[in-house]
Amino acid sequence: MNKTININLSGIIFYLDEEAYNLFNRYLIQVKNELESQEGGEEIIADIEARIAELFTIRLEKSRHQVITIHDINFICDTLGSPKEFMGEEEQSNEAHLNEVKSKKRLFRNPDEKVIGGVSSGIAAYFGTNMILIRIIFLLFLPFTGIGILLYVILWAAIPEAKTTAQKLQMKGEPVNLSNIKKSVTDELEGVKERFGQFGKNSSAKNNSFIIFLNRIASFILQVIEVVLKFIFNFIKIVLIIVASITGFVLFMILFGTIAETWNISGLNVISINGNLLGLNIAQAMLGNGIDLKLLQAGTLLILLFPILVLITLVAKALGRPLTKAKLFNVIGGISFLIGLAFIVYTVGQVATSFRVKATEMKKIQLSGRVFDIRADILERNEGFLFELNDDRLRIENIELQIKESKDSTASLILKHRAKGKSNSFARQRARLFDYPIDQTGEILSLSEYFSVPKEALYRGQALKVTLYLPPGSEIFMDPSIENLIFNIENAHDMLDENMLGHTWKMTEDGLLCADCEAIDYFSGSDVNGIMKDKEEKEEKEESSGMQRKIKELESEIKRLKSE
Amino acid sequence: MKIDNTKAQMRKGILEYCILEILESSDAYASDIIETLKKAKLIVVEGTLYPLLTRLKNAGLLEYRWEESNSGPPRKYYSLSKSGKEFQKDLKITWEELQTAVKIITNTPKNHE
Repeated sequence: MNKTININLSGIIFYLDEEAYNLFNRYLIQVKNELESQEGGEEIIADIEARIAELFTIRLEKSRHQVITIHDINFICDTLGSPKEFMGEEEQSNEAHLNEVKSKKRLFRNPDEKVIGGVSSGIAAYFGTNMILIRIIFLLFLPFTGIGILLYVILWAAIPEAKTTAQKLQMKGEPVNLSNIKKSVTDELEGVKERFGQFGKNSSAKNNSFIIFLNRIASFILQVIEVVLKFIFNFIKIVLIIVASITGFVLFMILFGTIAETWNISGLNVISINGNLLGLNIAQAMLGNGIDLKLLQAGTLLILLFPILVLITLVAKALGRPLTKAKLFNVIGGISFLIGLAFIVYTVGQVATSFRVKATEMKKIQLSGRVFDIRADILERNEGFLFELNDDRLRIENIELQIKESKDSTASLILKHRAKGKSNSFARQRARLFDYPIDQTGEILSLSEYFSVPKEALYRGQALKVTLYLPPGSEIFMDPSIENLIFNIENAHDMLDENMLGHTWKMTEDGLLCADCEAIDYFSGSDVNGIMKDKEEKEEKEESSGMQRKIKELESEIKRLKSE
Repeated sequence: MKIDNTKAQMRKGILEYCILEILESSDAYASDIIETLKKAKLIVVEGTLYPLLTRLKNAGLLEYRWEESNSGPPRKYYSLSKSGKEFQKDLKITWEELQTAVKIITNTPKNHE
């Protein structure tokens, strides 16, 4: 009883007995080694495989057998000839150089066992692991970040498909494991020993002098070093490739985060800060939804194409299968990069010109009463962003609150709206479009932490200065909620803003005076005060210790006197 | 100079011409061409033909189409392209000239005989 192995040749299944399979496998690898480096090599290999399939079919029909035996393989070898002769009618200079059949493993996509592109099964074949395991790893990456999809697409583009049977055989090759690495190193060392031994024989036959002995030692050491260095270099090379791919990938993901943002692709939001992806709010706030945004989006896309293409060629190169069209890839990438850059420069320029002229609009709001409790509606989602985009309003947090003495006897709020534009009229128009809700209910004066403008007004350096004018004699409680609004509020104690919060202040002709501060903190408050306090305490201590010493001296004096 | 090398170069040129000549009369797939060439003893093993066909195709002299086959995988049917036809005519003239030249030289009576 003989074991049979089935193979797929040009889409037809054949059963080979084990002996036939081994011979045929060797033959195909030889064919491949011979032709692969030639122009159109893959096509020639495919043609030859098709011819072999045809010959097999004819022979099986004739003999009425089902299994291909070694006789059939021998017939094939005779009919097609030795692979070394194949190019014989072509370039004569291309003399056969491969005597040994070398079965070096290569990474291919496996078209026979594929779900999408055969990447997973190809990788599994390469590492000799289970295909399901690799698929699970890809799937694990999928729901979290989308990295899995991208990695898959890049690998799909970079890894060639195993088309010919020879490639399919090579795809499996020998498993890469530690014992094989060890084996290759010991093989090299074995070679060195052999050469060393031969050298020794030759030299001892001729002359046994000391110099030759030294020579032998030197060359042996050099060769050992060479082998070790080779191993180290290979190791470094692999590490570098891994580091470079990771760096490239991270860079790529950052760019991808930007584009996902500008294109508002949810689900592909790879890099996000507090739910706000790099860019989009800012891009939309600055550019609106018109042609400028489209140009920016197109620009980012075109720029992105460059690193993607470069990455594909690099990955292909790292896998030892450089793309034939690598140059074209890079040229296309470079051109698209330049076009994308031009788009972005244009839109940035457009935006920059609309920041040229500044205009200010003033608005006065009369307040009633003389006692105030000032507080602010804190943004429910204040994440340190300058502005936020709501459905149709742009919320901007660029507000400065000041408290000053009123010239008349009433309290009032002055709002100074500032905006920029291409021209004075544009800027002025924009400055009128503010919405800043203020509410006074009895003593409570509520401000907002942000103002809003219509989305169409876009962000053009809008800022709001709120000044509260208080008549002398009026009182105000500064609620801690206004922390983000106040900005260098002048007061009679020169106290810092943060220290002013939570206290009641009285407006006098000398400025604001604290009405309920326990100890007034001057300047930067606690620091200076602390130093002063420390100094005083020290002096006090020194004084007291001096006194005690004197008392002791006096006591001893008294004792002495008494004894006398 | 190796004798094998000269032989191979002579055969190479003639082989190309013969393939074009075979395809001039009718379209054929690789095995037909092989049969004809084998009968004429121009080639011994089939393997040598495939690189040649691919190279001629890539040079734009040949075209091919796929045709289903009863025995085995689909076949590539080769035919002459437009430039292939011109090339074939050119080669035919050259070949006839060479033939006459070689005939004249080999048929010239040799004096020292």
